[in-house]
This record gives sequence, C-alpha cells and structure tokens, in this order.
Amino acid sequence: MASDARSIVLAGADDRDLTKLAEYEAIGGYSALQKARAMAPQAVIDEVITSELRGRGGAFFPTGRKWAFIPKPDSNPNPHYVVVNADESEPGSFKDHEIMVRVPHRFFEGCLIAAHAVESKNVFVYIRGEYTPPYEVLVAALKELEARPDLRGDATIVLHRGAGAYICGEETALLESLEGKRGQPRTKPPFPAIQGLYASPTVVNNVETLATIPQVIAMGGAEYATLGVPDSRGSRVVSVSGHVERPGNYEIENGTSLREIIYGLAGGIPEGRELKAVIPGGSSTVILKGDEIDVGYDFNSLLRLNTAMGSAGIVALDDRCCMVQLGIRVSEFYEHESCGKCTPCREGTRWMTQILRRLESGDAEQSELDLLLDVCDRINGKCLCPLGETAAIAIASYVNKFRAEFVAHVEDGGCPFGESSPLHDVPAPVALHAQSPAAAVLT
Amino acid sequence: MSAPETVKLTIDGMAVEVPKGTGLVEAALAVGIEIPVFCYEPRLGPPVGACRMCLCQVEPGPPKPQAACTLTAQDGMVVRTALTSQVAADAQNATLEFILVNHPLDCPVCDKGGECPLQDLTFRYGPGNTRMTFPKRTFEKPIPVSPLIALDRERCILCYRCTRFSENVAEDGQLVAVNRGAGSMISTFDDEPYRDPFSGNVIELCPVGALTSTTYRFEGRPWEIQDVPTVCGLCPVGCNVTATTREGKVRRILSRNHPDVDDGWLCDKGRFAYKHLHAPDRLRDPLLRVRRRGFEDVSWERALDEAERLLREAGGRVVTALSGSETVEQAYALAKLMRQGLGAHTALFPEESSDALDAFRLPLSALRDADLVAVLGDAPVVERAPVVELWIKEARRRGARVLYELDEEAVRGADNAVLVWCGPGGHGGATVAALAQRLGATGSFYLPETANARGVCDAWSCASDAEASNPDPIGLLVVSGDEAAANPAVRALAEQAERVLVVSMFHGLAAGWADLVLPGTSYLERDGTYVNLEGRIQRLRRAVIPPAPDELAWISKLAERFGVQISPYPSTVFAEVSAIAFGGIPFGEIGERAPLPAATPAAAALDVPQERTEGDGLRLVRYRPLFSGPAVERVPELEFQRAQPEVELSEKDARALGVRGGEEIVVRSNGTSVKLRARLSRELRSGVVRVPEEYAGDLQPTVEVSK
Amino acid sequence: MSAFYDEVQELKARYPHWRSATLPALRLAQEKYGYLSTEALRDCAEALGTTPAFCEAVASFYDMLHLAPVGRHMVEVCTNVSCALVGARQVLERFEQELGLHAGETSEDGSVTLRPVECLGGCGWATIVSVDHGYRRFVTPDDVPAIVQELRDGE
Repeated sequence: MASDARSIVLAGADDRDLTKLAEYEAIGGYSALQKARAMAPQAVIDEVITSELRGRGGAFFPTGRKWAFIPKPDSNPNPHYVVVNADESEPGSFKDHEIMVRVPHRFFEGCLIAAHAVESKNVFVYIRGEYTPPYEVLVAALKELEARPDLRGDATIVLHRGAGAYICGEETALLESLEGKRGQPRTKPPFPAIQGLYASPTVVNNVETLATIPQVIAMGGAEYATLGVPDSRGSRVVSVSGHVERPGNYEIENGTSLREIIYGLAGGIPEGRELKAVIPGGSSTVILKGDEIDVGYDFNSLLRLNTAMGSAGIVALDDRCCMVQLGIRVSEFYEHESCGKCTPCREGTRWMTQILRRLESGDAEQSELDLLLDVCDRINGKCLCPLGETAAIAIASYVNKFRAEFVAHVEDGGCPFGESSPLHDVPAPVALHAQSPAAAVLT
Repeated sequence: MSAPETVKLTIDGMAVEVPKGTGLVEAALAVGIEIPVFCYEPRLGPPVGACRMCLCQVEPGPPKPQAACTLTAQDGMVVRTALTSQVAADAQNATLEFILVNHPLDCPVCDKGGECPLQDLTFRYGPGNTRMTFPKRTFEKPIPVSPLIALDRERCILCYRCTRFSENVAEDGQLVAVNRGAGSMISTFDDEPYRDPFSGNVIELCPVGALTSTTYRFEGRPWEIQDVPTVCGLCPVGCNVTATTREGKVRRILSRNHPDVDDGWLCDKGRFAYKHLHAPDRLRDPLLRVRRRGFEDVSWERALDEAERLLREAGGRVVTALSGSETVEQAYALAKLMRQGLGAHTALFPEESSDALDAFRLPLSALRDADLVAVLGDAPVVERAPVVELWIKEARRRGARVLYELDEEAVRGADNAVLVWCGPGGHGGATVAALAQRLGATGSFYLPETANARGVCDAWSCASDAEASNPDPIGLLVVSGDEAAANPAVRALAEQAERVLVVSMFHGLAAGWADLVLPGTSYLERDGTYVNLEGRIQRLRRAVIPPAPDELAWISKLAERFGVQISPYPSTVFAEVSAIAFGGIPFGEIGERAPLPAATPAAAALDVPQERTEGDGLRLVRYRPLFSGPAVERVPELEFQRAQPEVELSEKDARALGVRGGEEIVVRSNGTSVKLRARLSRELRSGVVRVPEEYAGDLQPTVEVSK
Repeated sequence: MSAFYDEVQELKARYPHWRSATLPALRLAQEKYGYLSTEALRDCAEALGTTPAFCEAVASFYDMLHLAPVGRHMVEVCTNVSCALVGARQVLERFEQELGLHAGETSEDGSVTLRPVECLGGCGWATIVSVDHGYRRFVTPDDVPAIVQELRDGE
C-alpha cells in the first residue's frame, strides 16, 4: 500500500515479494550493509546523524545521537547489544506489523548495520507475542539470512517473542522482559545506552527506524534529509484506521497534511459522515477535533496543537461517537496495561475508569468532571514511565476538547449517544479479568 | 587515606556538602530535611522509584518533579522538597491520595497503627479527606504467608520492599508479586509457606500493616509497649535487637540495626524464638529429687542449702559443663565459685576457642567489601551464624568470588580476601587465623556454635590459672544452662557422675537426671555482656524480669557460703573480668552499638594446626540446624522451619552418582543406613555430604551414598 | 531428563543469561500442558534453575500466559478503539451466540475459549480476530458462523 512516490521503507514491496532474499537482493538489497561495513562504525553513525532520522517508535529521538551514546568497546568492555523494539502495541498502530511482513530483509539489513555502527555482535528482536504472522515471516527470512554468512557476518540475530503486555513497548520494560522478568520499567538514569540489557551498553530501536537505515546508508544521509520538513525528515509509514474508506498503512513524506492522509490517501469518511475527531498518533496522543486536521503530519506542526505523531496510528472517529465512551475504552486499556509498579498509574488509571463510567451512566455530578481532570493532572508528571502520563493526557484532552459533551452527560443524566455510538458498551479485557478490581465495580 | 571527594548542592536553600555518590534522600537528611519515602530502602539494592513519595523539584533536570530516591547528589544541583516547592508538595500529596484511594483505612484494628509510616506521612504530607467515592479494591484477607507472617493485601501499597528482600537479600525467590496493574499482589507459590530463615525481616520492612507478625498480632498498641535495646543471644553473631515488652512480657523482637554486625537483618530464630520464655514447661522454682524419680518444688533457701551440700560432698571432684550462652559475668561468677571456692578447675566447654583470631579481627561488614570469600569447614553458614550468610551473599552480589574450599592461589592472588571457618574442627579459629596469616588474607572469622563461646572461655580462665584435674570419678556434675543440658556429651558424662546439678529453663530438659535443678534464665532476662564471633563485647539488657532469681544473684549468695566474694551486679563483675581480659574498658562505655576492639598485633608465624582427615568415601558433616534446640522446640510457629530429612551433596558428586535433587537416596556407613532426600548444593565441595544432626542417626564420619 | 527439560536448556543457551529463557520456556510449557498449571510452573522452574514463584510472578504479568485452564481453541476478538469503531462488539456478540458462551468463558467441553483482547495491531484490517493465534482480517458478524464451524470441524 506504499502508494506515495516517497516510498522508502516499503519501496519495491508492491512489485515484488521482498520476503524472499533473492528478490530483495535483486533490487539491491543488502548492498547498503556491504557499504556500511566498508565504513568505520563512527562514519555510519555520522551518516545517520546527517540524515536527521528520528526514532519511529514514538519518542522521536534522533537515531544517530542515540547510537553515538553507546560507549566504544575500549571504554566499556561489556558486550554491546542491539535490541529491536518490535513490540508494536499502541492502539491504532500496525505499521511495524506490515513492515515485518513485507520487507523483513530490509529490516534485518538495518539491524546488521546498527550492529556494525555500535560494534555489537548480538541483535535481539523483541517481537510482541501476539504477532504470530510477522514472527513466522521473520523466522523464514532469518533462516535464509543465516544460510548466507557473507551477509550475516559475525553477528547473531535472536527473535524473542513477548507474551502480551503493552508496557513492554517502553524500552526499559522491554529490557526487563527480555531479561526474563516482569516487564516493569526501570528508572532512568541509568539509560540503556550505558546500562541496558544485562547492565551492558544497549541501543534500542524501533522496527521502522531500522528498516529505514539501509535506505539512509544507500542514498546517503544528506539525500535522505532533503525529504520531509525541518525536524521531521524523511518518510514515515502511517497507520490509518477507524472511520475511513480505505484503512491501511501509507508511507508518506513527513509534513504531508493530515487532511490529505485522511481524505486523500484513506478516502475520507464513509457514508458521507462528518469527521468528529482524530487520534493522531496512537491512543496515547492528545485528540484533535475534526476541524484541526489542516496540519502537517510532522513533529513541529503537531506540537503546535499540543499533540504528536507518536507511533503514527491515526484513528478517525465520525460524528456518531461518544467521547465519554471513548474515554472509558481508552482508560480501560491503560488500566489493564498498567504494570502496577508506580502508584499514580496503578491507582489513577483505575480511578479514571470509575469516574468515566459514572459519567456515562448519568449519575455523576458536575464536580466529578473536575475531579476527573484533577486526577489526570495528579497522574501527569508523577509517573515512572510514560504509560500513566499519556493515559492522563489523552483522557484530559477528550474532556477539554469536548467539554460540552461531557457536561451534557451530567446535565442530561445520561449519554446523549447511547447505543447509536459504536463505542457503546464495548467489552474490555480489564472488565473480565478475574483479578480485576473493575470486575467488581461492573457487576 | 585521602579525604573522600565531595559535591556541593543546595536543598531547600541550604548548602549541603556530601561525599560523591550520596543519595538525595541521605543528602537532605544531612541537613535535617526529610524527603519522605516508602519504597526506598538502600539495603534492598538499587532504588526502584516505584512509590513516588519522594518527588521533588530538581535542577538541572526535566520540569516535572523527580523521584529523589533514584538520584545521587551532584555538584550544583538545586533540590526543592515539599518544604519549599509547591510542585513537590502537590506531587507528594497526590501520591498519598493515590495510595489511599484503595487503602482500607482500618487503622484502629491494624497492628501497624501508631508506628506506621503511611499514617505518619499522610499526617505530614497527605490530603485530609478522601475524594474516592467508589468501591475500594478488595482481597481475601488476611492470608497466612507462613505460620509467622500474615498478609493483608488491601493494606499493601505495593512498594515491593518485601519482594526485593526475597529476591535481592535472602535470594530465596519465594515471595513475589503476581498479576499486573491494580490487580498486582504479593504472593507465594501455590499457597506454600514463605520458608526462608530470614522471612521475618519482611514484616519490619513493610511500611504499612500489610505484613504482620502472627506472634505479635493484636498483642499491643505502640503507646502501651516498652522497647529495650539488647542483643540476641541465640547465635554467635549477636544481632542488635529491640525487645518490645508489654505488661512484663516480651511481645516481639525487632532489629536495632548495627551496621557493622547485622545491617538490620535478623533470622527468624532471633525474631520469633522469644516465645520460649513463656513455654509451658518453664521452671519457676528449684526442684529437688526426692526418693526415686520424684521431684518436688523447694524454696530457694532450701535449694541453696542442697547446692552447698552437693558441692561440699563432692570435695574438689566437680566438673562444670558450660553452655556457651552464659553471660561473661555469669560464667565468671561460676568460675570464681568453682575454682577459687572449691579448687574445681575442670570445665567442659561447648567448643574450642582461640585468641589467634584477634590479630585478624574485622567487622562482619568487611565481608561486603571483600573480593574473595573462602568459606571453609564444610558446615552450612546459615545454620550456625545466619546473618553471616547474608553478608556473604552481599559480597557475592557485589562481585566477590565465593569459594567453598581452600584455593590457596586464589586467596594469595586476591586484594582483599576474607576467610570464614564454619564447621567441625578448626581448633576454635586457630586454623583459619594461621591460614589468613600464611596466605595474606585481610581477615578471618571463625563461626562458633554457641552465642558466647569466646566470652565464656575468657571468663573461665580469668578466675584462675590452675590446670584442670579431670576428677575420676566425678563427684558432682554442674550443668550450666540448656545447651549443656541438651548436649549428648554432657548427658554421657552425667552417667559417670555421682551427683548432678542442672541449671535449666525447662522442666523437660532438667528433670529425670538431676539431683537438684535450679531454674535458669534467658538472654532476654539478663543484664551482662556477650562476646560475639568478631570479638565484639556487647551489652545484654534485661527486657523482662525472669520468673526466678537470675544466675548471678544466686551464685553470689552460694559463693558467700564458700567465702568467695561475687557481686550480684553485672557491672561490678564485668569490671573484674575487664581488668584481666578486656583491657579494663568500663561496663558503661560499651554503649548501645558496641565498637569492635582493634585487631591485636599478629604473633610470629602461626602454625596451621593439622585437621583430622578420614579415609575413603564421602565425609559426613553433621550439623546442628538453626531451627533446633531447646528454645526453638518450644515455639510451635517455628515448627515449619525445622530441618527437612535431607542430605546435601555437591553438584559434582550428585552427577557422578546419577542423583537428582529431590530424589530419595540411602546414606550408609558400616552397619547403619539412613534414607534421606537429596538436595544439591553449589555451596558444598565435592567429597562432603551434609546431614542435619537430628537425621544423621548413628552414621559414622565416612559414608557411602547410593540410590 | 524430559524432552521439555532439554528444550529449555537449548533456549537458555541462546541468551547471555539463563533468565532470558523464561518467557520462551513458559510459552513452551503452555503448549505442552495447555495452560500453566502448578505442575507446569514447577517443571519450568526446575528446567530454568529458579523457583516456581519466580515463574508464576513472570507468567501472571503477561496476558497470553494462562494460569487457569483454557480451551483447546482460542478465539480472541480485538475490542480496542479501531476495531470497536467498525463493529467489534457485534462480532464478539455473534461469537457468544454461536458458541453459547459469554466473553471470557471456556466451553464446558473445553474446546473453545472466547475472550476480548486489547489491540492486536491490525487496526486497518478491523475487526481483527485471532483464532488460535492466526489473524483473521475484516471479520464481520456474518463471518462468525463459518469460523465457528471451522473450529468444530477441526475438533
């Protein structure tokens, strides 16, 4: 579905079966790896710095700088690790899924270039447990790669499957999980670059980031940096879902307008309905109203609207949707996924859900709307990792942008949308969990 | 030594200078500022930043409040706590509100009430009311985590102190957090009891009333108790403890953290065995044998008359069997009576003791900094001197090599090697001291079996220089204390003695073989001093009045009848001993956390004494388990901690024999065999097997093992 | 030694530290036992060289590891926002009807467990249903009877 001319990550995948090594090599695959290996590690890092590539997982940290933080082997004799964050779990994002399924070799090539750049012999791909189809593609591709010592070199790639925990997408939780523990985030500092996997220097990169690397090396960092807009260079695979005619992944040049993505690439809203709201970068981001989409899909433009590209999961909601119901479903998600380590997230997400449910039921008083915002405020900025914080920011944004609708729930003594909203009464796992406190509340 | 590098920072406007690497919580404390914490506890490993109670504003840094417990002081740092920062105050208030939304607030019926950090911090930093109007999270409660510990999951604030203790300190991997998010809870596997010799520490670590002691539950409120600082008398470590008393009874034992001795940890024996004070067979009055096999209570006046008569009738043919748990003062008083009053110089000591160790003296905390620890002697450290095991584990976590057999090259090659002898042989420490000297180790420890072996030996020898005469036949055997009374060697000697006088706390131990029984006291009922395995002289303080006069009181009276002057006051007796053996330090200067006397200059080259070697086959080491003996046997709650019918083998021997862990195997020596479960140990050298004394039966020192 | 024990030793060898083999070992044990019974957790602990409590602590953290019995087949319907917007609830309800189960339950004969799950990462192909870990895309209520029949035929 890489329909844009700016196809970088998914380049060639529409025409050929790039899951096959021979096909990938036929379009020049793994030549960037050879090129990189002919360069000094620092030169590779410099090239990536020049490209201004930033992490595609969500935090948008400059990739080259991240690599440059890794101590040189002579200053830190511990083994160095490349860990791939393939734990794509952000509601609304499914781009890494598609990248792994369609261009697994480009992704592995990026892994091996990264390993060369940070002088590592060990790559661990932490792939989310539910991703059986991408995992199987990677297994097959890796088998082909391992049969080619000329390509693999002396680095090993280990595929490590998660087992169902959103929090493991947070890099330190991922490292804990990869170490065989409960996936609870660590405090930072120390940062993974210095003390990551088994307290050794570790670079953690997202799938799309690494799948971009071969192209960056092939075309040169300066060339890559001509794409996109300032602070958001290059291309990006965005996931579009929800109320659009043609949901799917689209590779765009950074800075393409959100309107173009939703109405152009994805074909607009079905049944001629109005666009009510857009979640711009996965459920952890501040929501946009339907009239806020004339904005470039890039870091700075979205920052001006206090939101972010996040993991590029764009979810469109039409005018039938109740924002309180949306709040419940999103809050339940974070309550379910809270790791339980830090207090504000563990206790606060559960409390948010309780308040939102009462608002939806029509039994809430006006003061509880303020309490909800206050609870969000008390979570935000107090947590150990971003999970609780983004949950609070997202929920607060629903209230702030659609306050009248929340107030109507209080004043009308119930939900103005009710069953006509597709988000009405959606069963969430947290409500069914045997140990769930919410279960008791619901029954 | 050069002065440590320091950093200068500002906390709430006050300039602070602290050594580099100091945590912010400690840096603030240095200028009297509290940064409140729940999860932070440096003894549990690196900070986790979980509870978010310590949020402060820190510059340089992100604008949002930072978890101060996870940060170390840096030059130029500006820290603002809740005292001066509204952001920090709001953050801490928020944390407390979140902690309390699902907390049951059942403080009136909670054992922790009145000494609860959650109460205290809520009072200082928390909200005064609740905005939580929804049903709180509920759990089944209380859950018996073990016969010693009750868990209330509703009160739990998930600070993970207890699970970090289990994982990072005791390293037992038994107490864990299960589930995720708001459903997280503390648990053991499959409702099995938390069975670790150190399990009780989690009760003290718990900052709320989630983990409580089953033996202290509902026993008292903090405002009706009295705490007495004393020292544990159940093993040679001498952990510093607080005895909590109410209405003249000991209700619980808490740690009183001596950072060089115990680092604030106690074993479950030290923490829970106090209940032996209230054992049903506790002796309150002297017992006199009348006619055959019958005993009757007699008055103290009568008892002392009888004791005097027994001593006089025996002439000088008296042997004194010591327990090693007597205070220095008691042992000295007894020695003075026997040796100076009766010329009875023969004593049966519970074990050997050597002053060669004094030249290699170190605080136990020095183990932490060792780069190599060699544990010699083949008996399990945890069973003799439990807290030493925790020090060794900490050394290993910090990167020390821990060896369980002597590798002379490795010891010589190490910068900071410490030797530990735990086991039979060892000549009271002479062997390990000589090895330390020969191999250039930093220091050495010898782990005796009894709490005050060293002090008792010193006290006995202070009373006289005369040689023992080993009377035959023995006119009177004086059995001083429960350990001696339970010792099979003493029982054997009693068979040969014409008369036996036993001092014991318990009817069950004394009756049946004594002619006269005088009630004994516990370490919790005495004033006096103990010398621990480091050579540290520590003060015991009387926590409760014993049901009978203590030993010093009646020895003093009895001695009078033989013309020997002994003060009934421990301080006076100590002064006499100290003048001879302890360099004259006064009783009053021992202090609450006793210092370790400096190491003495090493003698000229020490000889390494010859250790006994046996023939072919596996060498059997029988050991007295930690959870055994007269005190433990009288505490039903400790029953589940008793030794299992197991034989420990090295992994190497197990492989060679094709034995798997958990399998039942036969341990055999000529003429006798025992069936035991195999336990594989990485902490045992090949060629040795270990069996708890109570399961070793009549096995000989050399055994064979088969499936 | 059991085959499972040996397989876990191989898993351990892939990593710098045995502990990294915990999740793979737990997944393997689940395949062998159907779910992580106390027996399965004990076997895992023995093979890994750790305690069963550690294994349970880890297993209970992850949604895909089951500490209670589940069906031989697993039907998981994503009910997160993107799927919900295009009718995940109706799909789940249809499964409830066809299977005669409530969401979260396992059929009495132990053949199927039905449960809603959080985002499966197929938002553009909503509604996503994971049937025995294979993704079914664009599932509508009308597709449900055929999927259920497929499961019955496979029994």
